[in-house]
Amino acid sequence: MSIQITSDLQENIRNFEELFSDCEDIKKRKIKVGEHLEQECYIAYIEVTLSSVDFKDSAVGKLLGKLRTMPEQELSDYVKENVEDISDSQPFPTIEEAAEGMLTGDVLFFLNGYNKALKIPDKGYPGRGVYETESEKVIRGSNEGFSESIKLNTALIRKRLRSPHVKVKESFAGRRTNTNVDLVYLKDLIYPGMLEEIEKRLSEFEIDGALDSGIIEQLTERKKYSPFPQFQTTQRPDRAAMAILEGRIVLLSDNSPVALILPATYNTFVQTSDDYYSRWEIASFTRALRYLASFLAMVFPGLYLAITNFHTQILPTDLLLSLAAARQGVPFPAMVEVILMEIAFELLREAGVRLPGANGNTIGIVGGLIIGQAAVDANIVSPIVVIVVALTALCSFAVPNEEFATAFRILKFLFIFLCGTLGFFGFLAGVLAVLIHLSHLESFGIPYLAPFVGADLNGYQDERDTFLRLPLDYLKKRPVYTREGARTRLRLYKEKEQK
Amino acid sequence: MFADNWKISLRQIRRLFIMDIFGMSSLMLPGILSSMSGADGIFCLLLGMAGGMLLLFLMGANLKHIRKDYYSYMKETAGQLLGDIFMVFYFLYFVTLSGYVLYELTTLSLTWLLPDGSWLGISLILLLLGVYGSARGIEGRARIYEIIFWFLGIPLLFMLVLAVGDVKTAYFTPIASSDFMSFSRGSLSVLIFLLPLTALLFLKPFCRKPEKMVSCGKSAMVTVIFLNIIIYLILLGVFGRNTMGVLDRPVITLMGMVNLPGGFFTRQDVLMTAVWFFALFALLNTGIFQGALVMRELCQMHRNRLSLWVVAVIVFLVGKGFLEYSFLTEVFEIYQIWVVLPGMFFILLFLLFLHWARAERKTQKGGNG
Repeated sequence: MSIQITSDLQENIRNFEELFSDCEDIKKRKIKVGEHLEQECYIAYIEVTLSSVDFKDSAVGKLLGKLRTMPEQELSDYVKENVEDISDSQPFPTIEEAAEGMLTGDVLFFLNGYNKALKIPDKGYPGRGVYETESEKVIRGSNEGFSESIKLNTALIRKRLRSPHVKVKESFAGRRTNTNVDLVYLKDLIYPGMLEEIEKRLSEFEIDGALDSGIIEQLTERKKYSPFPQFQTTQRPDRAAMAILEGRIVLLSDNSPVALILPATYNTFVQTSDDYYSRWEIASFTRALRYLASFLAMVFPGLYLAITNFHTQILPTDLLLSLAAARQGVPFPAMVEVILMEIAFELLREAGVRLPGANGNTIGIVGGLIIGQAAVDANIVSPIVVIVVALTALCSFAVPNEEFATAFRILKFLFIFLCGTLGFFGFLAGVLAVLIHLSHLESFGIPYLAPFVGADLNGYQDERDTFLRLPLDYLKKRPVYTREGARTRLRLYKEKEQK
Repeated sequence: MFADNWKISLRQIRRLFIMDIFGMSSLMLPGILSSMSGADGIFCLLLGMAGGMLLLFLMGANLKHIRKDYYSYMKETAGQLLGDIFMVFYFLYFVTLSGYVLYELTTLSLTWLLPDGSWLGISLILLLLGVYGSARGIEGRARIYEIIFWFLGIPLLFMLVLAVGDVKTAYFTPIASSDFMSFSRGSLSVLIFLLPLTALLFLKPFCRKPEKMVSCGKSAMVTVIFLNIIIYLILLGVFGRNTMGVLDRPVITLMGMVNLPGGFFTRQDVLMTAVWFFALFALLNTGIFQGALVMRELCQMHRNRLSLWVVAVIVFLVGKGFLEYSFLTEVFEIYQIWVVLPGMFFILLFLLFLHWARAERKTQKGGNG
């Protein structure tokens, strides 16, 4: 049951302090106000969220300064009339709500004779600020990245989309963490039902803590056993803004620099921000490379095994002989050799990620060059397998989205097994199985393989931005996940004049 | 959301049927036609296509009257009993076809891809994939073939272009040398390979633009016949009539002989088997899907998965039968020529006649009244 805030300050203080007993990080102070300093107020805040102890430059400090110049009997009316309505301050009628308000990183203000608590924003929780993204590097375009503060992240999107149609719907996830979750979208562009669907999914669970957007992602995904992610992730505000312009919804979670974008398709995972900033020839070339890379990251070691173990007739004799010569002295069957090398590589990658910056790079060099060379010299693996594994790794790095690339890294082992035991038949069966799986997969009702499938729904326009990214003036329509009737993204006035 | 509407586009239907009828026809027809009618096989293909056009015309005429689905239409027009009998006929056609395709696909895999593999293991993997492919209904299936269409089409066209260099035009003669019986049998064989097009009749509830389904079927058939003519001419020009008649799967043998520029890959037959692997799988998948669909409607089953598994077991047993008893292949051929082919035409004509007669009676009644 909620405890109402009354006009009696002492009672409010007692209730509040009872709720926050044994919380040394919460600072609680009684301060005298009024021109004769005869009235009392009370402020509470988390130690680091207020800018300075003497409150000189803070909003709280200025309010206190003002209250010290006013007659005692006018203080309550003044707060009611002038402070309640100013931006960001928020009155709470109960102790619990006031406590939740303070835990968002703001200062709580109680006044004797005033039956509410006011939340007054100040410095807030410490955060990193705007930094360059660690992943999703681009050659051309902004280098700003999302940070852990949801407010900062929404502002970074707003900075790019200065339209009143951009809406931010706030909700909370996590019973104990009370994490802010914002849904950012363009009201006039989103596909009908999409917003309702994500809101429904967000309301379908109650968890004690939602510490990162990854938790929300996993709890709202429909196909939980698929290795393929059904949300796109990004740390780039420009990528998020671009997605919003396509009628997609961006989900931001407090304390997470990773935004979720929905719906997501295979094609959107292969796109990068600078695909649209660079000229179409370059963008198309790199896009096609990424598609090829995503396929090879999954099948290359398997194909090597299928060809060298089962179908050697495909290769010219010279190459076959050199392959056989390279394997001479290696004690393991080719499949075991490839699995060993792949596991070693995955270990190196994992170690590189977990170690601090410079050490991580060193691990890459030590592992890749020294251990690889030593393994070849010791006849544990053949040089050709090192090349195959290295090329596969390169392909997986070329996939711009880490979660998406991981799906191929996992499936790679399935293909190694299939091709190692069933040859090219295993390869074809594996490709078929993955293809069937992908064709069944949907992200918020959108086929995962769109626009390669169902392109007719948008007059085959979406196919212009797939393997190839055609010149921008060909991409006049937004993709199919935009509301019908709002799909025009580009109008060329010059063309009209010529007509 | 729009992806859940269980409707497919015309492009998806077209590609689905191209894959369905291309696989078996390109794999088997060249051998059959060359042994029967030599260079006249081209005319057999054209005549078979004319038969296919007639079949599509009859299907189109019936499709106009279908309001809900084909089964309801048959029951409304011919009565419950005949409707059920016709459905059993279609069910038998689809499951025996799937069984035969399973046998062929497994044999193809064992011959070209995994000579040391076991029939049981390969056929079970293929069946499981077939059931998995059909589990999400027509939309999921259509998406698979929509996406792999060009991945298979482009390498095939590329290889065919490369093979043109080895063609000896002298092998195209003599023309018009085959007797009437051989020519007719050749044309009938072509028509039999076009029969999977009848699945169109069951697709009306799943198509976004049902009024254009028949023209879509026509374009799929013309594309396949055109491809078959090219393949046949190339095979005839490369191997000659006599050699082609004794080759098991001449088109795959051809793929093994074509030299790629640069000479890195010495033989492409294994790689190019992928085209027929996927195409035959498409037909297997269609057979399982259609069989399960017919079964569900006939037995009023509500569980999609159960009907799929039942059909899969039947298909496996039929496929196993073809492997164990070679005479069944001949029985299947006789069944196709003497039961399936006339049956398909009879049902369509009979339904049209009944529909026409009923309409006439109504008009007369209206006139009298």
